[in-house]
Amino acid sequence: MSGISRRHLFRVSGAGLLTLASGSALGACTGSGSPSAAGGDADTGKVTVWSWTTAAEALRGVVPAFEKDNPGITVDVRDVGNPAIWDKITVGMASGGQGLADVLHIGCDYFPGYVEKFPGGLADLSALGADAHKDRFAKGLWPTVLDEDGKARAMPWEVNPLGFFYRKDMFDKAGLDPTAFATWDDVIDAAEDFTSANPGAYLIGLNKPASPGPDCDFLQSLMQLQGAFYFDLDGNITLASDEAVRALTIVKRLDDAGLIGDSSGEQGWSKLVSADKVAVSPLAAWAAHYMEDQFPDQSGKWRLTRPPAVTDGGKRSAIVNSTYLTVAGSSPRQKAAWKFVEYALTRPRSMNDMFDSGGVFPALSAAYDDPMYAEERPYYGGQAVLRTFTELLDDGADATYYSGDYARALKLASDAQVKVLVKGGDPQAVLQDAAEQLAQQTRRSLA
Amino acid sequence: MTRVLRLRGLPLTLLLAALTGLSVAPFYWLIVSATQENSDIFAWPPKLVPGGHLGENLATLQDKVGLVRVLGNSLAIAGLQTLGALVIALLAGYAFAKFRFRGRTVLFALLLSTLVVPEQVMLVPLFQMMMDFRLLDSYQAIVLPGLCVPFAIFLMRQALSGLPDELLDAARVDGAGELRVLWSVVIPVMRPVLAALSVFLFLGSWNQFVWPLIALRNPDMQTLPVALATLHGMKTSTDYGAILAGTAVSALPMMVLFLVLQRQFISGLLAGATKG
Amino acid sequence: MSTAALARRSPAKPRRLTMRRAMPYLLLAPALTTFAVFKAYPILASLRLSFTTGSGADTRNAGFDNYRRLLDDPLFWTALKNTGLILAVQVPVMLGLALLLALGLNSAFVRWRAVWRLGVFMPAVTGLVATGVMFAYLLNREQGALNWVLGGVGLPKVDWLGSPFWARMAVVLVMTWHYTGYNAVIYLAGLQGIPKELYEAAMVDGAGPVRRFWSVTVPALRPILLFTVVLSTIGTLQLFDEPYVLTRGGPDNATLTVSMYLYENGFHYFDFGYASAIAYALTLIVVVFGAVQMKLMGERE
Repeated sequence: MSGISRRHLFRVSGAGLLTLASGSALGACTGSGSPSAAGGDADTGKVTVWSWTTAAEALRGVVPAFEKDNPGITVDVRDVGNPAIWDKITVGMASGGQGLADVLHIGCDYFPGYVEKFPGGLADLSALGADAHKDRFAKGLWPTVLDEDGKARAMPWEVNPLGFFYRKDMFDKAGLDPTAFATWDDVIDAAEDFTSANPGAYLIGLNKPASPGPDCDFLQSLMQLQGAFYFDLDGNITLASDEAVRALTIVKRLDDAGLIGDSSGEQGWSKLVSADKVAVSPLAAWAAHYMEDQFPDQSGKWRLTRPPAVTDGGKRSAIVNSTYLTVAGSSPRQKAAWKFVEYALTRPRSMNDMFDSGGVFPALSAAYDDPMYAEERPYYGGQAVLRTFTELLDDGADATYYSGDYARALKLASDAQVKVLVKGGDPQAVLQDAAEQLAQQTRRSLA
Repeated sequence: MTRVLRLRGLPLTLLLAALTGLSVAPFYWLIVSATQENSDIFAWPPKLVPGGHLGENLATLQDKVGLVRVLGNSLAIAGLQTLGALVIALLAGYAFAKFRFRGRTVLFALLLSTLVVPEQVMLVPLFQMMMDFRLLDSYQAIVLPGLCVPFAIFLMRQALSGLPDELLDAARVDGAGELRVLWSVVIPVMRPVLAALSVFLFLGSWNQFVWPLIALRNPDMQTLPVALATLHGMKTSTDYGAILAGTAVSALPMMVLFLVLQRQFISGLLAGATKG
Repeated sequence: MSTAALARRSPAKPRRLTMRRAMPYLLLAPALTTFAVFKAYPILASLRLSFTTGSGADTRNAGFDNYRRLLDDPLFWTALKNTGLILAVQVPVMLGLALLLALGLNSAFVRWRAVWRLGVFMPAVTGLVATGVMFAYLLNREQGALNWVLGGVGLPKVDWLGSPFWARMAVVLVMTWHYTGYNAVIYLAGLQGIPKELYEAAMVDGAGPVRRFWSVTVPALRPILLFTVVLSTIGTLQLFDEPYVLTRGGPDNATLTVSMYLYENGFHYFDFGYASAIAYALTLIVVVFGAVQMKLMGERE
């Protein structure tokens, strides 16, 4: 109750009345969409950071050293939860950027939306000196943080190269060696051997009805392996491209072969994995630690290899996603905020500390020199899985353009996948529908 | 009542008992699950006897979301909002029920008309307003928009129109001002309705979700439902026991409040419906 | 009436009279102030928003574009269809059940009526989050308690949240669980308010229980029935909570409601103008429905 006082209450309703009485009420508030409302470049003060769960914890670990090296700046890292953080950033941006923290942790999926739909919502980091670091991150990553004028609006923190985790014990039983799978066709061809040796088990777990949320990571990574996505780099819609149809067809064929288990419902995927019903996790680098933490009983059973290609001779690496730290355009202390971002993300030491405590795979290439990447991990039968991931990154990956309409595209792609998996739809037809709807809703053109 | 009559009522009694069972069963499951270990919550068949892990689950909850703190926030917000909305509804209901004045019908219709507007439509403008007032992350951000509750005003008007004018006039003749009449005549008579309405308002405030989710960004300011939904919504979270214990903590006080004040609660609810 | 009475009694005090005239407005001032600032203003602001496109600094006037776009948006129509379907099934089922429940609770033959009344009302005090979390677990296909119960009586497991048909049913089920008792208690009070003489007179006329129900109970309950039908219809047309926590509108958009779609457009697609247009389209529908129902059912008054 301490936070409220009578005087405060009165002042507030008084303010409201005045606004109304002035007759410009509508203009006053909806007009406050002007972005850089209170932006400033103070280089001291208290920097607030919004992040989520383990990443927030990891970031907190950097704070004491930073505060010691930068007198005059204090940092407050808040774990505002994921997905709650998106609603909060969105509403903050919609309100002209006010009320946001100084530093925001943003994923590559939401980032272009914020940049495109809320110009000035995120500070221009190039002006603060970010460009000095542009060659220091994993290949293909820097272009994704630039706005249309080539200014950096974010610094890469986490990068996620796609991997192919598999249960060696289950494949051994079927006499199969997943490292020999060159394409997904090879995987599908092995269906019979796999299922007869592992009755009741599936290759992968997928939330078929997308309940309660979309489960398109697998579909997306199949597109990304072909260097494609829902949009091309010019922002045109490629949701019905040959690559997309090929990707969804693979999902359908896997399902037809009985290789996809339904992981819908509360913690469905974890439950399938715990019950030894899933032999492959087509997940990215973040999962290296996650699997160890989440399924300790399966220690020694998992291995990691390169993902199979979609087409013969096709690429066998992809960056499936990444996350960034950004500075809010409304922050009155952008310099101080930038100092913290730079401190946390451009020094191998802090990046690896955060990786260690939060499982956030560093985007900073120099970080990979650390001996921890060569470490043989007993959980993976002594395999140095982190090295495998850094090698996957060395292949270079195509930039994926998420566009400001990613959320809508994801929704429609998910609907298309559900139609195929639940209602037996034809991949080509459902994607064509989805692409047309996306064009109608976003006024983007079909590529 | 004769024996025959009782026998006649037996099938009906059993039917009602069954329906009551269906209504209450999810709560029983909730309470039982709140006392289980994580691994037992998805046991098959489901555990139907309470386990011994309630304390542990609550401790996890305190550790993850600061149970005590968010519970305090929920209580403070619901308390302030109930008090404010109650006073506002009493005054407005009194005006509508006992005075004739220009604009009476129009104003009343205007207030009620907001019932047809979906709540989500107000979120963005409200948020912008709270920004401008610098009130985000404060109790006021949640309390203020909940002060004018059209339904409560409607209930108060219905209840007060049943109050005989003679009672009020008698007090006025004695020279009492309107506020004095309200205080010494109306409130004492209306005590049961006011009690009912406060339970009703408290409940609504305690359970609100989407607006607090958006307006309270600082975890220290969150209400219990928001904290729970955040914990529940994390894809990687596996604290099932803690989540369900928290759910029980958010549901139980309302059930107890309702049990204690059920008479007032139901009579208040009816004041609106039956005299409408 | 009381104003006039008072004026006659104290003709010599014009100041007091002015005070009397101002009194209702003074009493209403807090309500109207909070109403204007926290309800009317946001509603009007979003009306304005519905004629714009873009967001943040990039907000532009769009005329009726958003409304035109709405007419061509298959998802909006899907949402409208779902909302209509849920409305058509849920409201009659729930209110019918509530009325039967109320009749049972009002029957002199039934024992421990207070206990049953309490039990069926209990769900109504539970909030969105608690309900959602609880049912997300209970309706789980593989390990949910509900499917365990169904298995116990020899029925197969139901994919409550994964099949388009059953997901709709799950929403209906949870809503019915949540609000039936609430409506039953309202009906019960209505029943208790019906004078016994009416029934006695009907019995004298030789009316059986069924005829007494139609010729005495239903007409007497008419205003309350109207009240609950209108409120439930408004509530269901604006349905958001249950799909939000249970299914997020899926699978295959089977439980996507208009309010859900509104929320998605505003908060996931940043399309506040479009979201506001959806809100106003929905408001229009609610008004039309409410008016028609009042007209149909209120005819006699």
